[in-house]
Amino acid sequence: MIILLMLVPLSLMLLAFAIGAFIWAVRRGQFDDMDTPALDILSDDTSPPAQQGTRDRQASVHVD
Amino acid sequence: MQLEIDGEARGFCCHGCAAAAEWIRQSELGDYYRLRSVAATRVEDMPDLSGWDRDDLLSEHAVPTAGGLEMTLLTDGMCCAACAWLIDRALQREPGVFDTSANAVTGRIRIGWDPSRVRLSHVLERLAMLGYRPYLATGAARERERVAEQRRWLMRLGVAGLGAMQTMMFSEALYLDFGHHMAGATRDFFRWVALLVATPVVFYAGWPFLQGCWRELRQRHPGMDTLIAGSTLLAYVASLVETVRGGAQVWFDAATMFVFLLLTARLLEQRARRIASAQVDALARARPTLAVRECADGKRESIPVTSLQVGDIACVAVGDVVPADGCLLDGAASFEEALLTGEARPVTRAQGATIYAGTICRENPARIRITQTGSTTRLSQLARLVEQAQAQRPRLARMADRIGSVFVSVLLVMAVIIYGSWRLHDPARAFEVTLSLLVVSCPCALSLAVPAALAASHGALARMGVLSIRAGGLEHLAHATDMVFDKTGTLTSVQRQVGEVHTFDGMSSEVAMQIAAALERDSRHPIAQAFADIDTPLAAHDVRAVTGHGVMGKIDGVTWRLGRASFAGRRDDDGQLWLGDGHRVAARFRLQESLRADAADAIAALRALGVVIHLASGDASSSVQRLVRQLRLGEAHSRQSSEDKLALVRALQAKGRVVAMVGDGLNDAPVLAGADVSIAMGEGASLAQRAADMVLTSPSLLRIPAAIRLARQTQRVIRQNFAWAVGYNLLALPLAMTGHVTPAVAAFGMAASSLIVTVNALRLMRVSAVGASP
Repeated sequence: MIILLMLVPLSLMLLAFAIGAFIWAVRRGQFDDMDTPALDILSDDTSPPAQQGTRDRQASVHVD
Repeated sequence: MQLEIDGEARGFCCHGCAAAAEWIRQSELGDYYRLRSVAATRVEDMPDLSGWDRDDLLSEHAVPTAGGLEMTLLTDGMCCAACAWLIDRALQREPGVFDTSANAVTGRIRIGWDPSRVRLSHVLERLAMLGYRPYLATGAARERERVAEQRRWLMRLGVAGLGAMQTMMFSEALYLDFGHHMAGATRDFFRWVALLVATPVVFYAGWPFLQGCWRELRQRHPGMDTLIAGSTLLAYVASLVETVRGGAQVWFDAATMFVFLLLTARLLEQRARRIASAQVDALARARPTLAVRECADGKRESIPVTSLQVGDIACVAVGDVVPADGCLLDGAASFEEALLTGEARPVTRAQGATIYAGTICRENPARIRITQTGSTTRLSQLARLVEQAQAQRPRLARMADRIGSVFVSVLLVMAVIIYGSWRLHDPARAFEVTLSLLVVSCPCALSLAVPAALAASHGALARMGVLSIRAGGLEHLAHATDMVFDKTGTLTSVQRQVGEVHTFDGMSSEVAMQIAAALERDSRHPIAQAFADIDTPLAAHDVRAVTGHGVMGKIDGVTWRLGRASFAGRRDDDGQLWLGDGHRVAARFRLQESLRADAADAIAALRALGVVIHLASGDASSSVQRLVRQLRLGEAHSRQSSEDKLALVRALQAKGRVVAMVGDGLNDAPVLAGADVSIAMGEGASLAQRAADMVLTSPSLLRIPAAIRLARQTQRVIRQNFAWAVGYNLLALPLAMTGHVTPAVAAFGMAASSLIVTVNALRLMRVSAVGASP
């Protein structure tokens, strides 16, 4: 039963990781809008390359 | 209005809509039309947005971020996810905008822009051009708090879900040790680990229940939260004690599962209601935020409404909302007082008359000397009245509360008695039996029975175009026996149409209509709407509006006048619309309010559901009688004041009837609040919507019988759920009392029964999807 001493803390670490990932996703606003992002994939992105720079910047700014 | 789009000619209602569609096509955002599921609203005239660039406004509502400023604002007209998609794409194309996100559910748009590269008003002009008029949100701090609150709930749910599953795993290991072969050290190890995982679930995820329990105890009014927090804490603390002293049994799994399941139920219910109220709130808060003040030297400046003071002179442009109460300077002007009185027709006010905040200026611009501002305006007073009326809870809701708290108190007393008697009988098992009793009887399925069904039906209702704002509305709607309609704007639409045309001197009625349509074509007056559908080959020149009289203009060299009889042809005024050249009359139009297309069908459907229809209108008896004949209504009351309507509702309630009220104006707001359940039309005044239990987002009256059908079905499901939950409790309680149920089995039984109840409730979503397509 010594294996438990390793497996149980391992499962606890996984649990902590899962909770951490979930909280990270919530904080990043992944669950704020469940409808609109689904539409993005349906259309070809025709935005000119110049917009790409601003998109990257948007990702870095988006931390509320 | 025609425009060629993708090689196909399409019709548009106005230039604004055509321009929006043209821009969407040119920007290659045509996907919007493929993605959207709801037709867009009409593009209104472009509002003046220059006030949005003011520093004092930005400092209050925008927050600095890396690269510029960020602001959250509200908009109306966002009706599905495609709208949000379009707004996102359209704003991202504006140079200087680095971040946008639009949320169709809450009606909010977040914009991040670089003030050195682009002015906010320029960005918002694009928004307004597409038909989404921007409004100020409640301020940056409140907006952030709203989002943070929502995220906190989600995090609680995540922690509870993951934690409960893990605790279950560890407890399972203990349960599977049937023959007690597990070494004491291993057993304790599992218990301590389970304790570690269960602690955040109980105290972080379960915090809302603990808080609710504390509040209920302080108010000496034990309710559901007391029971939930009580049994959770009992299970947790007892398990803790057992873990420390190495006792026989722990119940961490029961505690965590309980928190998780109830949190899920509560979140579901909350979410459904928040979606409904967010849209209504957005409109209700959209009061004018800027006013134009005339300075001593005659110059005009745009200032926030809050800095407007008594004695200032405010200038109100045509189509703008009056910012504060005041008296009218200069000549007569007409105002639309729909927000205050529910009457859509503009009324003419003479010089010196009192003009109320919230009314809309029509025809000519006006100057107003401010007499009341802020919370002393009539609008604010009415809003407070509505809030007071809302604070009084209906009798049935109070009774349900009382029964709930009695049930909880009885159960707690019973638990103490059971504990006492088991102490005498078998002290070792006393605690376990008491806990089983609490867990089994804790009305988990009972508490899920209602919220799960409500959440499902709220979702179905929202898809149907009925927003349920207040809890309990659905229940009363299902029991409604009488429905009181307010005539203006509910059974009839606000738009008027030309009824009967009477011509003189050999003029044909077609020509008369064409002349009138040409004269009214560019008029903003509501009467012009009556002629909007008429195609006319004629063009009018030098069109001039004469306030309080009508319009005049030249067509083929002849000057025509359309308006009052005295204005058009020197006759005595009779309240009808006349066409003439100033000396002789040529035609007379009778304008009538058009009946909503589906009014008759809706009334018939309501009758089929056994609902008695009443009509209580503020209008004169002749127009009410006409409506009664058209719809074959039984009971109708004309010239009803707000108090009369409320008295009618009270009289019906005194006879034991459950009254549903359908209305729109603000003068109906006290009645809406006084009825058992109230429904406001989506196009009515926003304040009335706040007083209502439900809001129709689409103008179709057929949604009302559909909503009643759904409400009754919801009641059926709730009754089934209750029957199951009570049956289960009746079966489980004696077993638990006699010690035949372990806490784990109790927790499992409770979970299974909750699941059955939830699945039963979810049937509502499927069934109503069929009924939702009118």
